[in-house]
Amino acid sequence: MVDNDRPSDFEARLRQLWLRAHAGDDSAYRDCLGLMARRLRGYLRRRMQSLPDDVEDLVQETLLALHLQRGTYDPSIPVNAWMLAIARHKLVDLWRRRGRRERLHVTIDDVDDLALTAPAADEGAALRDLGKLLETLPHAQQQAIVLTKLEGLSVAEASKRTGVSESAIKVQVHRGLKRLALLVKGD
Amino acid sequence: MKTSTLIEFLAKDAGPAPRAVTARRLWPVAALGLLLSVAMAIAVIGPVPARLMSEPGMWLKMVYALALAVSGGWLVSRLARPVARVRAPRAVVFGLVLLMAVVGAVSLGLEPEGQRMLALMGHSALTCPWSVFALSLPALAGSFWALRGLAPTDLRRAGAAAGVFSGAVGALGYSLTCTELSPAFVVVWYSAGIAAVGLLGAWLGPRLLRW
Repeated sequence: MVDNDRPSDFEARLRQLWLRAHAGDDSAYRDCLGLMARRLRGYLRRRMQSLPDDVEDLVQETLLALHLQRGTYDPSIPVNAWMLAIARHKLVDLWRRRGRRERLHVTIDDVDDLALTAPAADEGAALRDLGKLLETLPHAQQQAIVLTKLEGLSVAEASKRTGVSESAIKVQVHRGLKRLALLVKGD
Repeated sequence: MKTSTLIEFLAKDAGPAPRAVTARRLWPVAALGLLLSVAMAIAVIGPVPARLMSEPGMWLKMVYALALAVSGGWLVSRLARPVARVRAPRAVVFGLVLLMAVVGAVSLGLEPEGQRMLALMGHSALTCPWSVFALSLPALAGSFWALRGLAPTDLRRAGAAAGVFSGAVGALGYSLTCTELSPAFVVVWYSAGIAAVGLLGAWLGPRLLRW
């Protein structure tokens, strides 16, 4: 289990899944994101002791951001470090939005918080409902996302159903997710 | 939406990760920024007389600006990612300035005593940095656009790198219209213009590059 992993084992497992996902293996990507979510939850819970209710929202925001930016991953860098750099960026942004900059200075070293993922592995409740936010997207983007991502149609089927080309469906999905990330930031 | 649902949702039909995301954004910006800088320089200031093109001093300016633009672009592409590895491109940028400073100092030393001030100040010392600054603005706007679609996490340094890159692009355009030939002039006044754009970028970075 993740909980007993040493950091190097964790990185090895994460990296193997991540690289398969990078090449287009969706099921490896799902496993990888699951592993990342647990790690992020521990990392953020530790640093957001004054805002425990916001942890799950920030986990989701970080997952969305790292999905949208996965093209910027540089294979010479540990996946864990790349992921935590994004999480830290999102955390700084959250403190800034809340006007609580000074809280950042009480963070403790990253070294041992892998061990702390254990109690944090259960999923907390998200306050913000991404499903609701999805409904506020422009129609074409919302439709493309609902069909391919929620109803589970393939891109080809979604294209047939809507009469929009396959590449247009993909573009709408990507734009919709980008917009979703902006909405998440704004609220 | 639960996080596990979000994960299913993101992974479904995700496909392979997009490739070469930084290059795809930065190359068009570099090309367009340079084009605008050259066009504005030629249109507003006018090209140098053709005979100057055979002077080594002309080529030195262009090579200096081009080398800084290339290494600055390299630095920007590194800082556009989380966990940026900046050591090599940053060393090249500073190395170029240092090398040019040495060339400038030696050339100044070779001038007769009474000529040194003229070699350093030329006839356009006060306008040169401002022209470089103005000509770099299209590239600066473009590189900020490029960075906004990427994932910089060190916003101040990413902004500064975008400024140095854009400043060098502006300097390259300006070099086609500038009649100064002394290396000492180039290292001081061109670099001053480029550094000013770098400072502007560092100031703008944390303000405009959040994502």
